[in-house]
Amino acid sequence: MTTTTTYNEAAVCVPRAGTLYDVLELILDRGMVIDIFVRVSLVGIEILKIDARIVVASVDTYLRFAEVCNRLDLNEDASSRTVPELFAGMATGVSRTGAKRAAKSVGGKVKEAIGAGDDDDERDEDRYEDTGDRYEDREEEAAEPRRRRTSSSSGSARSGGGRTARGTHRTEEG
Amino acid sequence: MGTSQVYVYAIVHAGRGLPPEARGVGRPPASVRLLPVGELAAVVSDVPEDLRARRRDLMAHQDLLIRLGADAPVLPMRFGMVAEDTRTVAEAVEAAAATHLAALERLRDRTEMNLKVSPAQCGIESLVRADAELRRMLTDVRRRPSYEGNVRLGQAVADGLTRRATQAVEEALPRLTALADGFVRGPEVPGCVLNGSFLVPAAASERFRAEVERTAAAHADQVELRLTGPLPCYSFVPQDGAEPAPPARARAEHAMTGS
Repeated sequence: MTTTTTYNEAAVCVPRAGTLYDVLELILDRGMVIDIFVRVSLVGIEILKIDARIVVASVDTYLRFAEVCNRLDLNEDASSRTVPELFAGMATGVSRTGAKRAAKSVGGKVKEAIGAGDDDDERDEDRYEDTGDRYEDREEEAAEPRRRRTSSSSGSARSGGGRTARGTHRTEEG
Repeated sequence: MGTSQVYVYAIVHAGRGLPPEARGVGRPPASVRLLPVGELAAVVSDVPEDLRARRRDLMAHQDLLIRLGADAPVLPMRFGMVAEDTRTVAEAVEAAAATHLAALERLRDRTEMNLKVSPAQCGIESLVRADAELRRMLTDVRRRPSYEGNVRLGQAVADGLTRRATQAVEEALPRLTALADGFVRGPEVPGCVLNGSFLVPAAASERFRAEVERTAAAHADQVELRLTGPLPCYSFVPQDGAEPAPPARARAEHAMTGS
């Protein structure tokens, strides 16, 4: 069975089945072409492609990255402090945790703003399916196990010691 | 659309059957049939009215290809290929029969695994700590906050995250291509530093997954990975019905040299 598994800092996500999000350009741009065949109209597909992607190179993203930076406590002004003192400051983990949380919420906002992420399939439908199609497709989707990403244990970020507690919640795909 | 037109899904070996519940595009799903051409057969159906690249039809195309590939090699067609009539299909398949047969052999017992790699946004803090130029920009912005300054800073951060993600990918790629019989870079995807497809022998697929997982763990600060598969071998078919892809092994080596 074809699945998509996401591996990121927080966790290894449960594989998701039956989504187009990550294979759209393969179905549309790869595969064999025979030049005497014609191709059906792909009107609207460009919007679908853009909509499904996280657009990193945008001013909005830049501003949010800058906001994250501005919240960082790099002890810039503590020029009189010794290196061990700086180190001790970091080890409390307070600033690290705060920054991490900020970075995460920014990531979430970016995805939300452009409609990417877990809800992309439903959005595809709203836009591209005829009204009569929606009911059945949604029903099919509801039947799939659509478990959301597993969250990492909250203790891992707070320890300040990195990611010893990385989630390993990947289950076997069936 | 004319009733004689046919939608073409794939080219397979002649003499095989269709999988149970083989359904095509359209609503209700078009019934799928085999069109034998010598040693080969085209998998075709009628063309539904008003065929477009809907989610439903893209999935139907993909699902049929996956079912077809469950126990025998398949040359997947790109979505939406329509021929004027069955004779056109037969002529086209016959004209490139040798190429198609060779390609089917190359894909036997292999699947495509697609890996997309994007920069990990959780790496901002460590990036800023490690990069003196970013720290300088941040200090400037804090002293004299401005829209332009923030955009410049954010862009530099985005560039830095992308740079580190690219480095991590290039470092990890040789270990992944070593497990595959082929590797090609796919169309560029916005936000991804790598969109690559691997031709993975069925026997090596668990080892390949494990290697991806190891890569993710080793570079969690730099990259987020998305692994999709097994897929029909979209990226390893002869291009434009003419030139067969270069030998798979040579491709993998080519990729490893990073050129």
